[in-house]
Amino acid sequence: MSTSKSNVHAHKAEIFCKDESRVDWHSKALWTLREKRDRAAGSIPEWEQLRQIGSEMKLHTLTHLTEYLEEFEQNCIKNNIKVHWAKDGAEHNRIVHEILAKHHVKKVVKSKSMLTEECHMNPYLEERGIEVIDTDLGERIIQLAEMPPSHIVVPAIHMKKEEVGDLFHEKLGTNAGASDPLYLTRAARQHLREKFLSADAAMTGVNMAIADQGAVVVCTNEGNADMGANLPKLQLHSMGIDKVVPNLESAAVILRTLARNATGQPITTYSSFYRGPQDGGEMHVIIVDNGRTDMLKDKILAEALKCIRCGGCLNTCPVYRRSGGHSYNYTIPGPIGIAVGAQHDDTNSIAWACTLCGSCSYVCPTKVPLDKIIHHHRRLKAEAGKLPYGKSNYMPLVGKFMASETALNCSMGIARMALKILPGSLLKPFSGAWGKYRELPVAPNSSFEAWFKKNRG
Amino acid sequence: MKIALFIPCLVNQMVPEVGIATLELLEKLGHQVILPSGQTCCGQPMTNSGCFNEAKKTTLKLLNAFKGVECDAIVCPAASCLVAAKENFHEFDDSPEAQAVIAKLYELTEFLHDVAPIPAFSKSFPHKISLQMSCHGIRMLDLATPSEQMGPRKNKFEAVLAAIPEIEIVYPDKLDECCGFGGTFAVDEGAVSAKMGKDKAQAHAATGAKYAVGFDPSCLLHIDGMVRRQKLPIETRHIAQILNAVL
Ligand code: SF4
Repeated sequence: MSTSKSNVHAHKAEIFCKDESRVDWHSKALWTLREKRDRAAGSIPEWEQLRQIGSEMKLHTLTHLTEYLEEFEQNCIKNNIKVHWAKDGAEHNRIVHEILAKHHVKKVVKSKSMLTEECHMNPYLEERGIEVIDTDLGERIIQLAEMPPSHIVVPAIHMKKEEVGDLFHEKLGTNAGASDPLYLTRAARQHLREKFLSADAAMTGVNMAIADQGAVVVCTNEGNADMGANLPKLQLHSMGIDKVVPNLESAAVILRTLARNATGQPITTYSSFYRGPQDGGEMHVIIVDNGRTDMLKDKILAEALKCIRCGGCLNTCPVYRRSGGHSYNYTIPGPIGIAVGAQHDDTNSIAWACTLCGSCSYVCPTKVPLDKIIHHHRRLKAEAGKLPYGKSNYMPLVGKFMASETALNCSMGIARMALKILPGSLLKPFSGAWGKYRELPVAPNSSFEAWFKKNRG
Repeated sequence: MKIALFIPCLVNQMVPEVGIATLELLEKLGHQVILPSGQTCCGQPMTNSGCFNEAKKTTLKLLNAFKGVECDAIVCPAASCLVAAKENFHEFDDSPEAQAVIAKLYELTEFLHDVAPIPAFSKSFPHKISLQMSCHGIRMLDLATPSEQMGPRKNKFEAVLAAIPEIEIVYPDKLDECCGFGGTFAVDEGAVSAKMGKDKAQAHAATGAKYAVGFDPSCLLHIDGMVRRQKLPIETRHIAQILNAVL
């Protein structure tokens, strides 16, 4: 990714904000999910307890990660599952390619994997002559549009149905001008069915890896992961090391909160448990680190790994809803994207794409303290001398200025005076972003301190 | 009670009327109110940006203004400054004197709800008000149950105001969504901040209320700027101003 200004969050967000009706539409679509989530969460009396248990369970697993991963591996082996370990994205992609090459695979159907996005696997395999077909409807849409996902659960949420219609017309030959979701979905299903039937291998992400079972759980609403995994004989599942949970009970806690917090559904339509290859087939699990162990070393950052990728924090985030997923300089957008992506952000801006309002932390089903993590990232960036928006120049001045009453009083006195006597149009250029969008404050006659001295002194 | 006022720089310089209303209402309630000298910024603009080194001197200066001041409580009419002061004092000074200051810090609404409730109002306030549930007060100071949280609900902010005769309380759509001020966010992320502020200002105006009332002057200043830019038929007020008017 380039370090140019064009990738800075505020810049991309400003472009997104230019089309206000689109911002309103985007914000509303996501807020509808938040409202559905509120209704679903509110219908369970023990919701807050589930969040607490989910949080404690994930934290416990993360602090005993080696044991649980080893237990998981051993049980997988017992179940005839082949387990691979990858330290980073490159190694993950190499392993996947090796497996596929060994079986002469030309076509892979894939479902639900932000991790393969994180590893940039599709282009890697495509360069090596393997076709990768994303099979979740939303993912297929953005794949056809040659765009990255803009949301972790509804990856094409930024596209209107008319735009999908145009895209399908061009790529799948649907009727020109058609935008009926039912018609478009049918067309996509038809198109995907051919792909499923002709694929040589299937690949999915993993929602949970159950240590004492040696099983992986994949949740989808379209059943496509199952279509994929059950048709070809070769199935691959990629997972981050943070996906492991101790047992069925702990998986059940996550299953109860995941869909409710994501879309307001009581449970995802298909929650499939895979614990071994089909007859005569092969099942591989690739366990990926890709920077997660490093995050675990920092107590605050480590909590980001409690995330179960429900997307709830994106739906509630007032900044994400108004700036769109593509404004974040990372594959995963929104609060959780900042939490896990700020260290990879070469623009050093996404940690500041947040008002620290804290809504995300309260929405999160495993209590990831997102605002705390984001704040912590800012501190780490500041300490590394990587501040955006000219902060490294002006912050020391602000620091000195605020610490000096005289400086503060004098200049604020002048500012108050200026606000009083200069016409707004003259001041606006000087007040930057504030005055561009808002009226400047009405200036008072004196400071409170001066008033106090005069009236109570 | 003997109360020391904590008047953050923004209130001191830009909205002294909030400081005056706070002082007057506390006096009307029979408290002895003092203003310790040497107060400055809580360090929030710097720590919010991650710049802890730059915040240290300012924060310690503010803390020193309160160290050794004889009082029962330190009251501040600005929720986010209060939260920042609490956190920053703790960050930079762990001494018993600092702990003593931290233990006495209260946001105004919190103080009026938890410590020294208002016994009675002498006037009524026959107007509709739309409550501005600012994030730091709600989610970090526990002034109300955030909308994301399930289970029993409380709202200290509403409880204090609801006791005023004839007042009508309403909420904007997405009742506790952030207004988009966020300190330097308003400047760094101008476009998104402005859009959030605009939506918030419109949501308040859409309630038909006469005033949008809040406990955080920085959010109110931001919303006020958006209200006037769009010429919306609503005005912003700080809770201290409403309370002072009916006491
Ligand atoms: S951080 Fe929490 S709310 Fe956000 S996606 Fe992860 S689990 Fe969901």
